[in-house]
Amino acid sequence: MTAILAYIPLLDPIPVFHDWWFLLLIPLALGISVIYKAMRVPDLREFWRQVAVMTTLIVLAMIAGAILLTIFVRVLIPLIPVE
Amino acid sequence: MAASSSSQPQPQAVFSPTAAILAWLWPGLGHISLGERKRGLLIMFGVLFLFLGGLLVGGLDCVDRRHDKLWFLAQSFCGPLAFAADIANQRLVQTVPEDWSRGSEGRRRFVEGDPDLRRRLSRIGLGRVNEMGTLFIALAGLMNVVVILDALYYVPPSAAKRREGDAEP
Repeated sequence: MTAILAYIPLLDPIPVFHDWWFLLLIPLALGISVIYKAMRVPDLREFWRQVAVMTTLIVLAMIAGAILLTIFVRVLIPLIPVE
Repeated sequence: MAASSSSQPQPQAVFSPTAAILAWLWPGLGHISLGERKRGLLIMFGVLFLFLGGLLVGGLDCVDRRHDKLWFLAQSFCGPLAFAADIANQRLVQTVPEDWSRGSEGRRRFVEGDPDLRRRLSRIGLGRVNEMGTLFIALAGLMNVVVILDALYYVPPSAAKRREGDAEP
């Protein structure tokens, strides 16, 4: 609590995301989608819907990648025989 | 299929170095100068969202020309904003002593509990928070490279939309 009260935005590192850093993927994907779709969407009335779709796809792809890597590291690697 | 799409007239790209320079000077300004005000404002919102988000998460220490040279290379494509953040970082955060060896001035001030030194040390980001903040700002810079290239070889969206409409069966 003291750390949050002492926090000066834009100057100090934020003291709340040390354990929940992976949640920052969502605003990261949102920012990338906004910039990309602002250039590529022919009709800007579709803009926010396409941003939502792209953000969701990025987050789902990252989750799928995390699951595959977890299986590889926790299941497949231990199956390799050790001499 | 390939032959029919290649026979379609390609939309004319406008070569605009001025728009590219403006896009580097302030994200989104290049597209605004090309008459795409709404697109420019959306690009500006996106890049500034990532840039300020990175500073909010990781603090000023995320933009560091001296210690994170490669990251700063990507961040520098955000334009003068990144250089301003780096100057602020060098003046406000990176003034802690480099030498922490026994008997050094830095060690002595730290042991004596110098409040100014402790405050400056607390502003140096560590661990995941620093990594994520640095990544946010680096990605803002790299996305702005795409924006700069889009402004440099600009294809009006009306022409691009017509091309997409022609490609549909």
